[in-house]
Amino acid sequence: MSELLDLPWHEAQAQASPRELVDASLRAIETRDESVHAFLHVNADARGDGMPLAIKDNIVTTDMPTTCGSRILSNFTSPFDATAIARLRANGASFVGKTNLDEFAMGSSTEHSAFGPTRNPWDLSRVPGGSSGGSAAAVAARMVPAALGSETGGSVRQPAAFCGVVGLKPTYGRISRSGLVAFASSLDQIGIVTKTVRECAELLGVIAGADPLDSTSSTQPVDDYAADLASGVRGLRFGVVREAVERLEGEVRANFDEALNVLRGGGAIIEDARVPAISYAIAIYYIVANAEASANLSRFDGVRFGHRSERSKTLDDLYFHSRGEGFGAEVKRRIMLGTFALSSGYYDAYYGRAQAVRATLRGQFADAFARFDFLLTPTTPEPAFKIGAKTDDPLSMYLSDIFTAPANLVGIPAIAVPSGFSAEGLPLSLQLMAPHFGERALFRAAAFFERETEYWKRKPR
Amino acid sequence: MKIDRDEARRIATLAHLEFDDPALERMAGEMTKILSYIDQLREVDVAGFQWSAAADSTPLRDDVPRAPVTRDAVAANAPAFSDDGHFVVPKGIGD
Repeated sequence: MSELLDLPWHEAQAQASPRELVDASLRAIETRDESVHAFLHVNADARGDGMPLAIKDNIVTTDMPTTCGSRILSNFTSPFDATAIARLRANGASFVGKTNLDEFAMGSSTEHSAFGPTRNPWDLSRVPGGSSGGSAAAVAARMVPAALGSETGGSVRQPAAFCGVVGLKPTYGRISRSGLVAFASSLDQIGIVTKTVRECAELLGVIAGADPLDSTSSTQPVDDYAADLASGVRGLRFGVVREAVERLEGEVRANFDEALNVLRGGGAIIEDARVPAISYAIAIYYIVANAEASANLSRFDGVRFGHRSERSKTLDDLYFHSRGEGFGAEVKRRIMLGTFALSSGYYDAYYGRAQAVRATLRGQFADAFARFDFLLTPTTPEPAFKIGAKTDDPLSMYLSDIFTAPANLVGIPAIAVPSGFSAEGLPLSLQLMAPHFGERALFRAAAFFERETEYWKRKPR
Repeated sequence: MKIDRDEARRIATLAHLEFDDPALERMAGEMTKILSYIDQLREVDVAGFQWSAAADSTPLRDDVPRAPVTRDAVAANAPAFSDDGHFVVPKGIGD
């Protein structure tokens, strides 16, 4: 029965009733999630007449808790639904569970969850990536046809790459952030994880659009995102980001070159693009994102919701002890860095300079998109690493987002699409980036690549 | 940029975070390492930078009243909430 979940959604829907599809999803979770640990909560009473979906546990839902993978929110249920959730509910979706993540979406491996790591379905000794590792693993292990994640620096695309599934980071403002627990407000966006490009395009059409509850949501009309899926890539211009590709080694390099050949075979025009400031993306990101996080996470103070320390005699104690007990090591590290970057005497040298280099990066992307319809890199510089391999070295963990963080800093859409497997059988991934609101074109090119390669048909053992 | 233990303590106070001494020492070392990576941003010539070029400005909306979340829903998530509708906290001024 759970073979239904191996099919693209439109085929599964043609073969079974909504009730059967939700049941297939719940049964798959029951049998497979013990080894993967993608889920923090499962909703056995899930109802609806649409797609069974898994939701990253930093997107608020009224029918399940929202923990953000943190002790500080271990007992929190939102009184309202996120706008994306409300739109999916209105469309009949069934929410079968909430997925694991690095605490407050801060991490690239899902090892920084207060509730234990998620494992990569392709190799249980490896990480699924992060921070939306639970969502990517749930889709890869065929427990759900699709999941929502969130992106701040690659948190949908990087785990999608590590788990061999499709991951979209939409244009900043394309999807309302209302109900997405804030990490870095100028970078955050809800993202989508699916098996195939078509499912991703159709889901974006449901949740995209302006929202009075998020003033940064765009009034740009919502496109028919699946309209061009069959159109191919003939004559489209793809720029290969030289500064990214120069760093590549071995299998990832060879796989990327193969991917370029697939696009060439469809008549795509492929040339070198230059975006020199891309090498500063991680440095910019860790100032801007952490500065914003230090402000956003000040709301967790033990007063209105979340964990309150029992040890508090005064109000000051309450703040220090509740936050000290409630936040994990990585969250504290980022709040500390962000607080430092915004503190008197360092603001201009760190936060101001990071924003200045971010402006340089935006300018270089704008110049590149004057020549190209798309920019290409591998999604990640290496396939999934072993659990524990980077937990003692925060900087090396941060660098696994080197190719994904630029799209967040610039606000453009980007998609990760499976591009093959390493010799060890680990998924590899191609990243396509497009200009602001270029999602329809992204899906067109990604769908061509998917049709030619069909890597989505392989699944973990 | 070197962060020593005293500087880490100053930042922890600003951030309302509690650390014991070994944790503070470790944090100072990690921050130093990360900031030394971030210091590569100094290589970039950023003369003529305008703040408006870094990100689109945040659009503002009209401040119009709308239905709030109910008091019961707020109370359900509060660590301590009084019957007459207040969050309860320890005293704000020490002995």
